[in-house]
This record gives sequence, C-alpha cells and structure tokens, in this order.
Amino acid sequence: MQQLTRLVGVSALALSSALAMTASASDTSLEARKRWHQAIYQGYQSLETEAEDFSQAASTYCSDPTPDARQAVEQDWLAAFLAWQQVRFVDFGPVEHNNLSWQFQFWPDPKNIVARKAGYLLKSDDQIDKDLIKASGVAVQGFPMTEYLLFDEPLNSGANALPTAKTCRLLTAVAHHIETNSEQLSHQWRSLRDHYLANDQYRDSTIRAGMAALEILEERRLAQPMGLRGTGKRSAYAADAWRSGTSLRTIEATIRGLKQHFLPGLSVLLTEAEQSQLARQIAAQFDEVLDNFPTLHRPIDALLSDDKAFAELQGLYMDVSQLATLVNDQAASTLGVVRGFNSSDGD
Amino acid sequence: MKSMFRPAPLALTIAATLTAGWANTAWSEEKSEPASKASVVGHYADLAHANYEDALITARALDEATDRLIANPTQENLQAAKQAWLAARVPYQQTEVFRFGNSIVDDWEGQLNAWPLDEGLIDYVKGNDYQHELGNAGATANIIGSSKINVGGESLDVAKLSPELLADLNEVGGSEANVATGYHAVEFLLWGQDLHGFDAGAGERPVTDYAAGSDCTNGNCERRGDYLDAVTDLLISDLKWMVAQWAPGNEGNYRDQLTSADANEGVQKMLFGMGSLSLGELAGERMKVALEANSYEDEHDCFSDNTHNSHYYNGQGIRNIYTGTYRRADGSLVTGPSLSDLVEQINPELDARLNAQLDATMTSLGAMQARAESSQNPMPFDMMIAPGNAEGTEIVNSAIMKLVEQTGSIEQAARELGIEALSPDDAGHTF
Repeated sequence: MQQLTRLVGVSALALSSALAMTASASDTSLEARKRWHQAIYQGYQSLETEAEDFSQAASTYCSDPTPDARQAVEQDWLAAFLAWQQVRFVDFGPVEHNNLSWQFQFWPDPKNIVARKAGYLLKSDDQIDKDLIKASGVAVQGFPMTEYLLFDEPLNSGANALPTAKTCRLLTAVAHHIETNSEQLSHQWRSLRDHYLANDQYRDSTIRAGMAALEILEERRLAQPMGLRGTGKRSAYAADAWRSGTSLRTIEATIRGLKQHFLPGLSVLLTEAEQSQLARQIAAQFDEVLDNFPTLHRPIDALLSDDKAFAELQGLYMDVSQLATLVNDQAASTLGVVRGFNSSDGD
Repeated sequence: MKSMFRPAPLALTIAATLTAGWANTAWSEEKSEPASKASVVGHYADLAHANYEDALITARALDEATDRLIANPTQENLQAAKQAWLAARVPYQQTEVFRFGNSIVDDWEGQLNAWPLDEGLIDYVKGNDYQHELGNAGATANIIGSSKINVGGESLDVAKLSPELLADLNEVGGSEANVATGYHAVEFLLWGQDLHGFDAGAGERPVTDYAAGSDCTNGNCERRGDYLDAVTDLLISDLKWMVAQWAPGNEGNYRDQLTSADANEGVQKMLFGMGSLSLGELAGERMKVALEANSYEDEHDCFSDNTHNSHYYNGQGIRNIYTGTYRRADGSLVTGPSLSDLVEQINPELDARLNAQLDATMTSLGAMQARAESSQNPMPFDMMIAPGNAEGTEIVNSAIMKLVEQTGSIEQAARELGIEALSPDDAGHTF
C-alpha cells in the first residue's frame, strides 16, 4: 500500500566508510568535490539573484498594481522557483539547517495546508510581518505559498484576491523571507568550502543526493501524478506547482540543474574509474530527457486528461527512468556507493 | 474527557522497569548455540506471529466491546469500547515494523491502518474545519447517511453494510484518503471529529449517535451501528489471515517462504523494516512533517489524540526486532536469537551503541507519552506541534533526532552483516 509521502529533510549520516582509498582515488574525489562545490555555488548564487528580483517585483507590484507589474511578479516568481528547482537535489549541508529546504518548498501538500494557512493568516488580526512569517511554519515560508497567492483561482476570484492590502503584505513578506533564506544559503555554502573539500565523505553524500533526486523525480514527481503507482488514479494535485501550471517546467529545471551542477563531478569520478563510456552515456541520456522540452511545457492536468498528451508524458517518464537506472544502478555500483535509508522510504 | 481513557500509568511503569532488566542480556549468552542468520530470521517470524496474535486477541476484545455498545449504547459501554480500541493499538503499532520489506504486509495493511483518512466518506462531518484530500471526489460521500453514493461519476449501492462492501469501498474513486475500514475508521466511529485544532480536547462523539428511535443524534444511528459492527468484523478476519501467514507449520505460507529463502534476504528485510520505519516514516512523515508545518491534519490518531502512543509503540516495535524480544499483551516475554546477537559477534562496540540508541529513543518517546498523559495540563501531540510551542517542539525534535541517530547505526549494522543494498522490494512500482 503506497501512500503519498512527503519528502523529509532528515538524513542518516553514513558514520564510517569501509573503503580504503588509494591516493589517486582520493585525488580524483577531491577534484570531483571541487567541481561540485563550485557548480552548486553557482546554482545557489543564481537562486539568490532570482529571489532578490522576485522580492523586488512583489514590492513594486504591491505599491503600484498595474497589469504589467502583475505579469512581472509572476514571471519573476517562476524564474526564482526554477532556480530553486535546479539546486533542489542538494539535500545536505546548509540547506539542512533550520529545514531551509522545506522552507523553500513544502511538498507534497495533499491536504492543502498551504491554502489553509493562508486563509488563517488573512483572516487573523495579527500584523503580517517578517516575525510572523518566521513563526508560521514551513507551509507558509516558501514558493508554494507565493504560488498560491499569485495563481490560486478561488483566491484570486474572491474578496482576498491580490492586490488586496493584506494579501499583498503576505506576498511581499514571504517573498522577502525567500530572499533572505537564499542569501543565507549561498553564503553558508561558500563557507562550507574548506570542510567540503577536506572531507571525503561528501563524495558519497553528493552522489546520494543526485541519486535521491532522480528517484524522487521518477517516483514521486512523475509516476505518482501519472497514476503509475499507488491507487492508479491520475491526479494533478500530486504534482509540483499545479496551480501555476508549471509542473513540467520544474521537472525540466531539476534535470537541467543535475546536468549542470551534478554531472560534471560525477563524470570526473567515472572517467577515473575507466568508465568514460558510461559517463558519456549518462550525459547523452540527460539530453534525451531534455529533448522532451519545450514540447511538454503544458499544465500537467492537460497532459493527464488527454491520451495523446499522456503518451508524450510516458515518453518523458521512460527517459527519466532510463537516466535513473544509469546513475542509480550502474554509476553508483561502479563507484561503490550503497543506497542508505532515505527520506522517501516509508509509505 | 481525555483523562478517563488513559491507560493505567502503573502498568506502563512496570513494563518499563522490566524492559530495563532484560534488554542487555543477549539470548545467546544463555544458550549453547550461537545465533546464526537463519535462526535469527526464524525467530523474527516467531516475533511476528506472537505480535499479530496479540493484535488479533485485542481486536476481538474491541469487537466484543463495540458489539455491547451497539446493543446497549451507554456512556460506560462507549468508554469501554474506547479503552478496548486503545489497548488494541498497543500490539498493532508494534507490528508496523514488519510492513517495510515484507510486501505481503505492506499490500495488506492499508485496509487496517490507512491514514490520513477523509472521514466525510464514512459519516457526517461538521464545520468548515474539515479539510479533505485535494481532488477526492468521495470526501463527503457519507456512506452511513446514504443508501447510494456517487463518487467521481460512479454510482454505488451501499444499502447493505457488510464487511465485504466496506473492503470494496476502500480507496473508492482512486483516492488513498478514502479509508472505509481499519483502526482509524473505528476510531472515528467511537470518538468523532476532533474539532479542537491545536487546543485541548479530542473528538466528542455523543453516545446517542448510537441510540434507538427519537434519542438518536445526527441521524442514521442504526446504520452507524451496522457500520461499526461490519468494520470491526472485517478487522478480525484481516488479522486472522495475517496470523496464519506467520504461523509455524503452515506449508506454503509467508513464514515458510521467508524461512526457506536465503537467510540474508530475511536479515535484509529486518533491517530495512527497522530503518524505514525509524527514518522515513516515524521521524519524517509522522513527526517532522506535522511539526514543521504545524499541521494537525498530519496527526496520526487525530480523533482520539492517542498519537503519542502510536509513536511510542512504533518505536518499541523497532527495538523488538533488534533485541529479538517482545512483551506480549498477557505480560509474557518472547525471546530468541536476535540481530543484536549477530552484530555482537562481529562488532560488540556497534551492538552496544545501537542498543543504547534504541533505549534512548524509547526514553524520548516515553517522555512524549508522559507529557501527553500527565495529570497536570496534559499536552497531547496535536498541542505539541502548535505554532510557537517551544516545549512541544523540543519534545518532538528530541524523538526525531534519536530516531535519526539509530538509523545511522542500523545502516552500519547492515553493512557489517554483509547486506549490500537496503533497497525495498519493488512493491507498488507498476510501470
């Protein structure tokens, strides 16, 4: 009996490594970690920039709510959210502190807690400010809340629709919270550099992060809404970002992020292990997955309700499965990375 | 209202004292034969059998208590039924560690323990505080109040409430929140919706919801009784089936298959069950999500406010598997060759550490239980996770951290026992 599982930001640290590293393997691992650290840092910096723009756009819109300003804030929301999708695979390091990862994106949310919390905050007499956002829990603090405020149809056709003053205050306060968190994440990641390079355990942590991201993408973000697991019912609500119709764009961004920020370090390790053929195969498979876009840039409910469109979605699913097999089975076993318990175990 | 239904604190104290005494003595120290992987897997099946037998015994007591309630709906009989439900949860929650890794259990358990559920499928719900799963067409179907329900365009005849019908209605319309059966359905029928949110108080279903004639409140009392009767009968037949799967001497049953297979597979299932329940399920899904989102929708036993005990006995179940011991509902102790014995043979330091971590987890979960049931200002789980509750956050976080720590050692134990991968069976991967 598989049920929806939220992705949990707790991880068991591998406490010891039985592998005796040869000198050359250690050097390669250091080289891989240098690449990873740099690439992930770039990803975090881009998130920081986009989050700043989004926060600015939200303030601009709320002080002068023209149609152009509305369009701008929606676009900047998407740009920031996609920047997060690119680095969403990193599940260790500073993003673990204070549940930063959940603060950026509390997902999935089958019980619609985001809408419930928004309703509560908009109704209450509390002053909406940064302290209130800080104290309001992860369902309030990130991209899903701002997506709800900008895109939810019932909300935006009701009395609390943007740019109502209180809804605007909530939007700008949450956008500001995202901005602050992005800055913090990027700074802390930079400070982690020496520690990350000095500790060989991060080699396996980083590989496992990529593996887990692919597993989550395949099983939770695609198979679940497609009805390929669990009860077999297709449901857009199980996908990311269904309110803004950008579920597939988030998937594309995660794949692009893995290709840009994860693959280079992995390739170094595979090449050193005389598996450059496998490294090339993986790189080619990333491109296979990305070839599905932009054709698949449609809201997921449209793709689920039409059989022809669903067949295209199945094509993407097959390509992602193939990629997950290459990385999680072949590359991982070549590199001696054993899958430990992860947050998506459970039901 | 809550204080009346608390399990006797004295019994819990005694159990805890006994626990402290026997935990550190490995079985093999008293026996001539050292534990082997095969003997450990065999004893694992013994533990499962005893544990499911207890689940069945206590479910039978629940069935009898609900039968008395239906026949004679008095306040005393309602309370007795609630007590019987609480007692039935003690062994059942310990069996949850068998779910992960044993797909025969995982495929079966949804009918008994699925959660969270959209209770509006079953009976009336009140207030605009009812939040059901997004897109669930059956969330307000109200089987008890209808002879026919319509879920997502499908019309279903529910005039005659039987165990078979309820089993068929589970996950009707393809939604996992449409839970028509199992412990939580019974819990809802006994307690009713908890309308208190983060405040003190559980569900307050009046006993007159089962009264005859004009005393009946909220309508359909007779059908409500029929539902409760059918759903408790189904629980018993389901548990009987599972007991038979683990019974010795049943050729071709699950135990037979498990104990004839490569013992490494059995050891892998044991460790996978412990780790998955510790980390992803209990620490993550059941505690961290609820805490970090301040979401009482994610409270496990939300009608009865018994969540702390569900967590406690989940933790106990994990510990049972490692130590090879199980305290039965009648107080007797099942012991035998254990994972602890195997790990001790190869790495005594790791064995001592993991045992200490499992004990520390139980201490943390015990503190959660004690706080939830304290006579002065009890703080059940739904209050612990309220925004700004520093004490509650501390209690829940402490339990989460202990579970995370023990999972690290479970992973290490797996490696040292030569278990290469901790991947689960591919249950549910249908593509």
